[in-house]
Amino acid sequence: MDSSNGALDIVITNVVSTFTTLCPLNLRTIALNGFNVIYKPGAGRVQMKIRKPNVTASIWSSGKIMCAGATSEDESKRGARRVARSLQKLGFNVRFSAFRIVNVLAVCYMPFAIHLIDFTKNNFPNASYEPELHPAVTYRITNFRATVQVFCTGCITIIAPNVENVVKGAEEVYPLLFQCMTSLRK
Amino acid sequence: MPPPGLRCPGCGSSNIIDDDLHCQTQLVCVDCGAVVSEGTLVNDVVGGADVSYSQTTAVARKPCPNLLYGIQRVRAICRSLRVNHEIETLSQTNFTQAYQHEHFINVSLQRKEVLGGCCVLVSCRLLNWPITMGTISCLLDADPMVVGAIYKEMVQTLNITAPTISITDVMEAHSQEYKISPLDAPEELSADPRQLNKRAVALVELAADTWIVTGRQPVPIMMSAIYLAWQSLKPTKQRLKLTLEKFCKIAKVNKHKVAMKRVAEMKEVLCKLGKELPWIREDVTPENVVRHVEDILQHRFALLRRAMRTHEETRLEEGRTSGKDSLNEKSAPSEIPEIQNSSSAERCEIRTDVSEQPGDGDDNPYTAPEPHGSPQEDQEPNWGKRALFAPPCVVHPKKRKAPHPESKEVTGDEEICDIEIDSYIRTPREVREFTLVQQMLSEKEDANVSH
Repeated sequence: MDSSNGALDIVITNVVSTFTTLCPLNLRTIALNGFNVIYKPGAGRVQMKIRKPNVTASIWSSGKIMCAGATSEDESKRGARRVARSLQKLGFNVRFSAFRIVNVLAVCYMPFAIHLIDFTKNNFPNASYEPELHPAVTYRITNFRATVQVFCTGCITIIAPNVENVVKGAEEVYPLLFQCMTSLRK
Repeated sequence: MPPPGLRCPGCGSSNIIDDDLHCQTQLVCVDCGAVVSEGTLVNDVVGGADVSYSQTTAVARKPCPNLLYGIQRVRAICRSLRVNHEIETLSQTNFTQAYQHEHFINVSLQRKEVLGGCCVLVSCRLLNWPITMGTISCLLDADPMVVGAIYKEMVQTLNITAPTISITDVMEAHSQEYKISPLDAPEELSADPRQLNKRAVALVELAADTWIVTGRQPVPIMMSAIYLAWQSLKPTKQRLKLTLEKFCKIAKVNKHKVAMKRVAEMKEVLCKLGKELPWIREDVTPENVVRHVEDILQHRFALLRRAMRTHEETRLEEGRTSGKDSLNEKSAPSEIPEIQNSSSAERCEIRTDVSEQPGDGDDNPYTAPEPHGSPQEDQEPNWGKRALFAPPCVVHPKKRKAPHPESKEVTGDEEICDIEIDSYIRTPREVREFTLVQQMLSEKEDANVSH
């Protein structure tokens, strides 16, 4: 995946969203009547998996539902609506409301390796590197909400509240990474 | 005293005196006995002044005993690490601040103990004293992950920015843990601590230059460097036969499982450099490379340059001899990115492909999706295999799943088919059967438990 034509692919791997049903939900009823459902009484929630799109929903008895696993914002909304429709079919008076995207996780591969110690020194204090805890450098962008994790192989993960921030985060961090491109590859 | 000029309303006399009857003030005429005026029975405010119970029973506020105990522990940790007075004072200050913060005031005592260790760690880092998180975990006898989590929270809470430590700085402190000085071990197995440290630092610097250190935990790398340094200082048969496990027993340290892998990686790098030594006739293999470690480290910069040059020349020659095949190979990798990026017009294109998360950096960014030696993989070898030195996770990448075909355009507001949703719901008969099976299973479990 060399960037010979100057383009970098940002691949969205996970979108997390939440919505509410505006009615209480009986978790035992959902666990009994639903397929693809895992009931966790200790955690007080039910996990429901939808095949298309590939989404996992965590359902609480208060009516709050969290959906994770989609690969785009629209897919996440589609999956959330499917979950709401399933609950409606189970007999609950469900209304799809307060849908919002909470988190977007994306991956981008740089065509060069990165010297993590240099990157940390150049971008202190936004960058923090604890090799004993995690092999990547965590770079927090303060202008807008986004966190970038930089691995020495050139792979970066960007976590932001929406896709727009993900793209902005990748654009902001690219020149900083380029400065710390290792010379051993030349 | 009655005011002057006051006269009795009955007889007009001015002979009026103050008379306290049952603590009630009265002005009485002496001549006729008439009460001219009387005061209130009680002059105090109804209900009394506001005085709280804690104010009336207040004693001098004592400091929290757990805080005092925690400060003592911090002091003990500082003394066992033999840090200077400034670090000890700073640790105590940080601990007092963190302890009284809302994030830590109500946590368990165990976490408060770990907090003490984290305060010592951050103070050491701020004042340039090399120490690892592993050392603190060992002193506290706590899980390193728990220590890490509390450390991160503490740093955020106190708004401290601590610099990252360099592995070469920590090397000396770490090597002192190994009991292989002439006083602790027999002569044939002992090593001078200074020489050992110097050799180990050189090995770690070489490992850092060749992608072994970046992104890895420092302790296994230091352990493997000390082991190889110890072997190379006196490469006798006895030392070369001793495994890492036995070395750790002699040195009285706990062995890290990962250290063996680092030893193998370091030996591989030393072999690549050892081949460039002009005075060595034999093949340099991982079995005999330890004897040449001294020469390799002494000339490591020149050997690195030479090895890179030789590698480039070899690749150019391979490119020339393969001829047409190499041209095809070079054109195919340029085609594949074009195909993949055919829809991208801007600098940063967003695709909704499904792919794995990179996890701990062991993913390879450059292998093609098909895992089993497909034509795509041959046409686009990863840069780790082309380069002489590359991170081991790039050279030996994990196999990836094939990506799912791209989904059609999704708006999020499409109609939801009822048939599809019905497949997620059990029929009443299935519900009854499911309930019966659940009951049977729970009865079996109860029977097993009672037996």
